[in-house]
Amino acid sequence: MVTPGVESYIRQKFAEHAGLSEDQLFVDDVTLAAVIGRSPRMTNSIDLMEAFARTANALRKDYGVRVRLPALPLDTPVSTVLKVFIEEFERQKKEAAA
Amino acid sequence: MSIVETERVEAVEPVAPAEPVERTEGAAARRNSAAEAPAIITDLFDAMTRRGMSLVDVTWEQHRLHESRRWSVMEMLADVDLESLTPLDRTLVWNAGRAELTTKPGADRLERQAEAECRRWQESNPAVAAIMQACGTWSRYWNEEEAHHETVFNRLADLGGMDPISDETFIAFRQVFPDDDMLRTLVLLAISEITAAVNYGQCQHVIQDEGLRRIFKQVAADEIQHRNYFVSFAKALVDSGEYHAKDAFAVAHLFLREDGELQGSARDQLEERGTHVNWWDQLDTGDSDFRPEALEKKEQLICGALRKITGIEVHTREEVEDTWMDLVGS
Repeated sequence: MVTPGVESYIRQKFAEHAGLSEDQLFVDDVTLAAVIGRSPRMTNSIDLMEAFARTANALRKDYGVRVRLPALPLDTPVSTVLKVFIEEFERQKKEAAA
Repeated sequence: MSIVETERVEAVEPVAPAEPVERTEGAAARRNSAAEAPAIITDLFDAMTRRGMSLVDVTWEQHRLHESRRWSVMEMLADVDLESLTPLDRTLVWNAGRAELTTKPGADRLERQAEAECRRWQESNPAVAAIMQACGTWSRYWNEEEAHHETVFNRLADLGGMDPISDETFIAFRQVFPDDDMLRTLVLLAISEITAAVNYGQCQHVIQDEGLRRIFKQVAADEIQHRNYFVSFAKALVDSGEYHAKDAFAVAHLFLREDGELQGSARDQLEERGTHVNWWDQLDTGDSDFRPEALEKKEQLICGALRKITGIEVHTREEVEDTWMDLVGS
């Protein structure tokens, strides 16, 4: 069971920090390398890491859950990233509640 | 506060971080500083602003340290007994030679980027422009010293009949890393030097031939000196207030995180970069069980570098991540 609203929250926050629209990211299901290439705010994978960190910090602030993302290869599609993000969120939420 | 806060370069134990040595001296003494042992200026921003050191002063300090540390590749090679080298020795030499090929494009790029950054800051913040110029000026010494490393290992590999490096590989390893924010660039280079120094330090422990061991020891000591310079320039940028500590932590996290750059060629999946070669991705120890990782030592040295650059104390990779996340904000 996925916490209601969290998927769209992650999509919105990540798009905001990447400086791209949700459509640009998720309709084409682009890879992380393509995100860096399309984003006006990113030069390399450090900027990408920072966009994930800002998204995770926002989640922590609004949902009270701390998510740590593993290193993901640049050929990973954003749909997979979203899935990992949500799985980590639910896992951390469950651990925090235990 | 001293006039010149310096950091001496460790000559013997390359993997132990040196503590800054403070000096108190006036301008006249500084002009006669040839009497003092040459050292790296560790508080460059303060030196070039409040204490009024000029670029000529800074260059003099850089030059005399470089000159005091010069060594001969030919003399070092003459002391190696090629016949006594073990298969592991040969693998270590071969890997080191390939890795060192990537340093020339790094130094060439640093010179170009520092020059461009100097021009960019010249009107808005002359102190930052001067730091960039000091960095670009030092890159010539860095490049020359790395040339020693590259040629000593590759010549040794050649003399020992090791697998030749093709021109295609040579050219591929010369690809230039793409430009980035200057603080991130300097921190990445500091961590690259830490990684190399620790690896070479580990190699010394398994090498039997005295001449070869001396080469690895010398190169490791040089890499620590380079780390100290990168830390000094990075600290100066943070001290200027124009660069944010979060970027230093971001690069450290990139290396220290799970499956991060520090895992090098041991990672399950390496990026197909297409733009450049990271030497730590390319280590190949063949059938040997030996891997010169010493990850805890590298973690400790990276945390030490962060403390010197930003003034923020961290001790573990988890603390690096937590601090970086806090600095990034939301």
